[in-house]
Amino acid sequence: MNYTFQYGQVVQYIPYLLGGAWLSLQLAAISFVAGAAIGLVNATALSFGPRPARIAVRAYVTFFLNTPLLVQIFFIFFVLPEAGILLEPYTACAIGMSLNAGAYLTEIERAGFQSLRRSELDAAQSLGFNLRQTVWYVILPHIVKALYPPLSNQFIIQVMTTSIAAIFAVEELTGRTYNVNAITFRSLEIFSVAAVIYVLLTLIVSTALALVGRRVFRVKAKVF
Amino acid sequence: MSYLAIDGLSAAYGRQPVLTDVTLGVEKGEVVSLIGPSGSGKSTLLRVLVGLLAPAAGSVAIGGEQVDYRDRRSLRAARDRFAIVFQQYNLFQNMTALRNVTIAPTIVKKRTQTEVEAEARALLVKVGLGEKFTSYPDELSGGQQQRVAIARALALRPDILLLDEITSALDPELVNEVLDTIRLLAQDGMTMIIVSHEMAFVREVASKVVFMDQGRIIETGPPARIFDAPETPRLKEFTAKILRHR
Repeated sequence: MNYTFQYGQVVQYIPYLLGGAWLSLQLAAISFVAGAAIGLVNATALSFGPRPARIAVRAYVTFFLNTPLLVQIFFIFFVLPEAGILLEPYTACAIGMSLNAGAYLTEIERAGFQSLRRSELDAAQSLGFNLRQTVWYVILPHIVKALYPPLSNQFIIQVMTTSIAAIFAVEELTGRTYNVNAITFRSLEIFSVAAVIYVLLTLIVSTALALVGRRVFRVKAKVF
Repeated sequence: MSYLAIDGLSAAYGRQPVLTDVTLGVEKGEVVSLIGPSGSGKSTLLRVLVGLLAPAAGSVAIGGEQVDYRDRRSLRAARDRFAIVFQQYNLFQNMTALRNVTIAPTIVKKRTQTEVEAEARALLVKVGLGEKFTSYPDELSGGQQQRVAIARALALRPDILLLDEITSALDPELVNEVLDTIRLLAQDGMTMIIVSHEMAFVREVASKVVFMDQGRIIETGPPARIFDAPETPRLKEFTAKILRHR
């Protein structure tokens, strides 16, 4: 390969790319938290809800697990305006990613409900906890602790998935990389820099999650 | 009418009847012990009383008030008066010993944190765990966990304490530390229904012994008569087996 690397041209854009990485992280965090909340409500419905609620949750999960995220966001971005709902690209991506993550997190959190010891539920019930108190004080902490690794993985996946937002002109890391490429035409350099930033981002997030897990939730998580 | 009056109580797991026509009276301050082979319905009776299994028939009244287990308010009122300690302790694994004891009084009974916490500390000291406030269940021995569970039940200020084979899951050398706690409670006049296989302990602490088999009460009486002069053939057979093993 007869190629001369010219990183000098792209170095000046690194702060701009880091700004994009920050936006990626925000989008991942928002959609993860919203998805986790959707997952919690759904898992509660699947475990304790009446039949119609369980059917509705099943339908939601089946739909979102069996269609591509890109199609889901296209739908929100291009089809909803027909119904008078016009959304900013960032908002459309955040909603699409939240609904998508919600389906995956429903499955993960349902597994958490199932792994809960019956004895703790009996205790909660005999102590007079209502369903909301049982979920909040007993089931949720159990899920976070027992499922900390898969939840962390889902968050990392969420960070990677934010690159889809570039298609909708959201200036997150991939979007900004694309912009710089259009200016400099140094594709190899700029995309390799973006790749390194993604790797660093993932390592930082994994380390932070492992530390929080150890300190706050007493999870025996490996930092590396 | 007894303080706790159970009349004609029946219950089933699906189609399998597990309690049939159980009638029993417990007076205030009395310690009643349920004995019998496994699957005889002893634990089930406690689960029905505390509302973990809905009765199919019969009635329960505490202090003259009928409990309607299908009515949420009545059930809550009943749970205010009963507290249960389980065989497997059933502590909340994500909470410290202190938090296990304080959580129900604060979030269910809406009492103030400071008041509840002071009381919880005193209870944990009473059951001999003054050093273990901040320990999590997985850092405690079985006997210690069971004593936290007893403190948790007492923190609800129950009128009647239900103890479901609370020493069955413990190592033999840890049994006595839990039984000592129960002796103290009996001396304090706590009304208790105890399911136990510790016959020597039952004999010592119970004022009334109820022998159950196949979901029915077969014989009731003071410990001395139940163990030394059983009347029914089934109880004779049961006590003979126990004595043979001693």
